[in-house]
Amino acid sequence: MASPRIACLLLPLFPLAARLRSEPELIREALVVVEGNGNAARVVAATRLARAASVRPGLTLTQARALCPKLVARPRDGECERTAQEALLEVAESFSPRVEDAGEGIVYLDVDGIERHYPGSTPELDLGRALMNAADAASLPARAGIASSKLAARVAAGLPEPPVIVPAGEEAAFLAPLPLQRLAPEVDVADTLERWGVRSVGDFARLPPSRVASRLGRLGRELHATARGLDPRPLMPREPPPVFHEGMSLEWPLVALEPFLFVGRAALDRLCQRLESRGFACIRLVLELRLEPDGHQSRSVDLPAPTRDVKTLLTLIRLELEARPPGAPVAGFAFLAYPDRPREAQLSMHGPAALSPDKLATTLARLFALLGPDRVGSPRPVNGHRPERFSLVDFSPPPPPEVRREPRAGRGLLSVRVLRPPLEIEVLTAAGNGDAETPVEIRQPATEEAAKRTSVEGQVKVASGPWGLEEEWWADDPTGRDYWDVEIAGRGLYRIYRERATGTWYADGIYD
Amino acid sequence: MAEPLMRRILEEPGEGSAALRLVRSSLPEALRSHVQSARALDREIKDAAGEGAFPTAVPAIDRLLDGGLPRGQLVELVGSRTSGRFSTLLAVLAAATSVGEAAALVDLGDGLDPDAALGAGVDLERFLWARPARLKEALAATEMLIAGGFPLVALDLGNPPVRGGRGVEAAWLRLARAARAHDSVLLVGSPYRVSGTAAGVVLKAGRVRAAWRGGAGSPWLLAGGASQIVLEKCRGRLHGQAEDLTLATAAVPRPEAPPALPGPKPQTRPREEERPAAVTPFLRRAAAG
Repeated sequence: MASPRIACLLLPLFPLAARLRSEPELIREALVVVEGNGNAARVVAATRLARAASVRPGLTLTQARALCPKLVARPRDGECERTAQEALLEVAESFSPRVEDAGEGIVYLDVDGIERHYPGSTPELDLGRALMNAADAASLPARAGIASSKLAARVAAGLPEPPVIVPAGEEAAFLAPLPLQRLAPEVDVADTLERWGVRSVGDFARLPPSRVASRLGRLGRELHATARGLDPRPLMPREPPPVFHEGMSLEWPLVALEPFLFVGRAALDRLCQRLESRGFACIRLVLELRLEPDGHQSRSVDLPAPTRDVKTLLTLIRLELEARPPGAPVAGFAFLAYPDRPREAQLSMHGPAALSPDKLATTLARLFALLGPDRVGSPRPVNGHRPERFSLVDFSPPPPPEVRREPRAGRGLLSVRVLRPPLEIEVLTAAGNGDAETPVEIRQPATEEAAKRTSVEGQVKVASGPWGLEEEWWADDPTGRDYWDVEIAGRGLYRIYRERATGTWYADGIYD
Repeated sequence: MAEPLMRRILEEPGEGSAALRLVRSSLPEALRSHVQSARALDREIKDAAGEGAFPTAVPAIDRLLDGGLPRGQLVELVGSRTSGRFSTLLAVLAAATSVGEAAALVDLGDGLDPDAALGAGVDLERFLWARPARLKEALAATEMLIAGGFPLVALDLGNPPVRGGRGVEAAWLRLARAARAHDSVLLVGSPYRVSGTAAGVVLKAGRVRAAWRGGAGSPWLLAGGASQIVLEKCRGRLHGQAEDLTLATAAVPRPEAPPALPGPKPQTRPREEERPAAVTPFLRRAAAG
């Protein structure tokens, strides 16, 4: 059986790289990432500028500041690291569907057969370069290594001048000249072996396996196997998460909206880039806020159609926060984007142009934010006869016809402009020819509410009615109305009705 | 001399910028700033040839404006209550959706009855209805819809008192610029002039003279009405031209000409056999039920 080919993407100085991804403006500063609080804070990683001033991991922050007065320090941020790791995984998933999350800036991916997409003389090398370029585009300066085992691939990725390719079956030979720290830098047993005089991986591999096992136990036996290029651990592919996550802890808690939106915009930018790289758009955006001194809040914004327009998403967040302020300083935040496939449209050669699905989604989202979801949509009549009723459905127009049609001849109908809600009026009636009283004059009650509405009053010139409307006679609250079309001298044509139950008159439409 | 060069710009897109520079260099200094882009030149040529019209299927408007509403302009339709303004807006929306285009109505007056829209021929699937509460929201929503690529956006301000007043002229100019940039038709229906100098075309609808049928022992029925649409402003056209606008109610045959107004005493109750001839769609359905 042919051995698998595994690539490793390794992000050196992971806490620092994750922080710089969230705050790229710090890249030219002497920056250190520290872990711990107060005097116990110790440097975990430092930029090149800081290292040039002799700042090294393990120093306390006070010592580091003494060496480099202009030092910028940031605490280690789990939120930043989590999103950076997600972004690294997504870079790997854009190459292979089988990706393992090894944590702390390490990702393995199955690249068996993928090199065939690179027809040059060194396909695996080209693949490694493509992996590194893709990571660079996601603001992650990752290194790549390709080998037949996870261990060899990781060691190869850690070497200078990446990408490093280890040919299949040559893992032991590749590892032999390397120092033992490369094999398992985190394992203390490497120090013990150095005291024994064993300095390289090859020296260690030459020791008898049984004696290593009897002196160093199970850990030593496994390390010895890896030194001989044997790594039986299979790739453990991960299940892609259902949401995209992006966030960070803030250096200072924020109390005002504008600074928060400034920081949030950068996070949304990164989030939308990640969605775009996977061909997704956001259908639901959740904002999780970590508040000072303690407490959490979560806000959810449902979108009418998938979008990845940062401006729109930011506007929606702004409106949400303006409507319901958090009530405490914000110490950290995370955006969770629920992905969905963006709508697609086929352009028409001869017919009218279709609306761009992206633009439409953005427009609808902004209209929802401006007016509210119950005030935007495509109207539909509802069952029943009361004219003030209607329903709204999501606007999702069908594709336009393939060939432009001539406009249908107009019907030339006199339509009614509905007065919503109906306007209460006083109507003077006189006996008609039948048993119904005919309106002869309309007056408007002198209320404050009526003064804000369209005035409907005057002498009735012509009245046509009554036209009966009965609805839901079987219900507890049935509708019974007598409608009239009236022309008021010099004021226009109106539709008025009288509630049979109460005898109250209303104007509910203007012929216009 | 300029027109062949403009043609060259459009026919040779690869050399467009070079040809555009040539056009601009050949123009007098005062005119250079007016020629901004090949797209602007294209629009000028289309406008001159009358190719940019958006047919409305309202004969009065199509005749007044030589084929329809000009694309890329703010068209203001002014009319007091019962002027046929709202019916005309619905007819224009119906024409747009009947050719397969999407259309939007920003309805500040909140006066749309979906039944009436359906009756006027609006394809509701291609029709977006926005119901702002204030003029400021209405203007913002209109701008969003134009930027969203809607080829026709109608903004109806309802009847006085308009919620939010007239708005500032800068907002209308901004909308007119947006319509021009996206080549959309922006149709503003208002009870009085609001858009000032931003409007490229202004039409005014007169009060509808109601047409009644019946009397003399039979019931009165509203049959429709007639009005006039007057062209008040349009570049390159004679102002004051007028066309008749005839409107009928849904169930009564269209009157050929508005009859003389009857006396003020409609007294008879409709006979039973005439009850189905209701004047609005919902009453017609009620009668049928």
